[in-house]
Amino acid sequence: MEINSKLRVGVLLLTISLLGARVEAHHSFGAEYDAEKPITLKGIITKIEWANPHCHIYLDIKETNGTVKNWKFEGYPPNVLARTGFKKDVTLKVGDTLTIFAWQARSGPGLAHAREITLADGKKLYFGPPAGTGEGNAVLP
Amino acid sequence: MKKMLLVTAALLLAPILPLVAQSRGATRPAPRMPDGKPDFTGVYQGGTSRPGEWEFQVPGDQPGVPTAATQSVATSQARRDPVPFQPWAREKAQEFLNLRSINDPTSRCLPGPSPRSHSVSLFPIQFVQTPKQIVILYEYFNVFRIIPLDQKSHPDDLEPSFMGHSIGHWEGNTLVVDITGFNDKGWVLSGGVFHSDALHITERYTRTDYDTINYEATIEDKKVLTAPFKTSTTMMLREGTRLREYICPENNEDVLRLEKLLENPELFRRTPTVKPQ
Repeated sequence: MEINSKLRVGVLLLTISLLGARVEAHHSFGAEYDAEKPITLKGIITKIEWANPHCHIYLDIKETNGTVKNWKFEGYPPNVLARTGFKKDVTLKVGDTLTIFAWQARSGPGLAHAREITLADGKKLYFGPPAGTGEGNAVLP
Repeated sequence: MKKMLLVTAALLLAPILPLVAQSRGATRPAPRMPDGKPDFTGVYQGGTSRPGEWEFQVPGDQPGVPTAATQSVATSQARRDPVPFQPWAREKAQEFLNLRSINDPTSRCLPGPSPRSHSVSLFPIQFVQTPKQIVILYEYFNVFRIIPLDQKSHPDDLEPSFMGHSIGHWEGNTLVVDITGFNDKGWVLSGGVFHSDALHITERYTRTDYDTINYEATIEDKKVLTAPFKTSTTMMLREGTRLREYICPENNEDVLRLEKLLENPELFRRTPTVKPQ
């Protein structure tokens, strides 16, 4: 499993070096979010927005000091979510418990760019694109 | 005993072998119109070379399987030559990259010319074909192109536009499309590849088999480039996928957020590790 995982990473890095063009999205990831600040949070869904160009999930997350903070998570637009396997009012519902892997906004806690979500039954889905989308390479080819 | 096992395996596999071959598209020829021309009708995914069903944005990437793609950078399979920018344009484009493409017109929901849309694997593209025209529908920004096949030249009343004006003709099995009439407000490719109103694109589409369109675009812009350059990708047939609505400006909070970020760009500015040429 570990070898397989390493192989996949190796193939991906090779692909990056050969082709080099980063996948694009609606806007720059890196201007707003920090790929160096991944975070996994678990909480209760308080609101779901199906809207363009980004859907949002809001989670109440209990902090270590016992207080509750409401976080906003940005994701794919409705068309992409539907194609990725989300059904409105079925897959996600207010009150559900959800775990989200995301990257924090440069503006600080409370806003994040969601990637993989884990439903209460353990099923995993992508809610948003990978880090780095939309920002282009560091240097012109 | 060994022979018996082989025979059993062959019998078990026999019913699914044609399906495997079909899903790989190995033996299925490109379909043709009643007039014998190649038929491009269908829904496709750009920026990938894998046949079969719709796949996630990053080829081979699956939720629940931790990979570098889940947690770091994604890449498109589209290929492009180095962009032969004029010196001033190279400087400008590099600065776009230094600011992590925050000024990308797409962040304001403005589309780019077709070479850009064809390299995006996130949104499907539909070809609708008749003997006299081909219509390409893009889910990305919900734009379209109408490509007449019976016009020798562009009209003389073209207004500046994001997608340009297209005319097409056949060269053997290849559809060749000439596009002009652009404005100067889009990026012809992601990553800061801006263009002027002198942009001229020649596209070549070849449906090499049932699953695959080979796409190549030659990009010329005498106001921005020193020479033409090429970009290419394959567009793969995605049966069972349908185009959906994408009305980007509905709730585009990013315009205000990105303007605020630009008040202090040093917070996210990148410094190139290699000096621009």
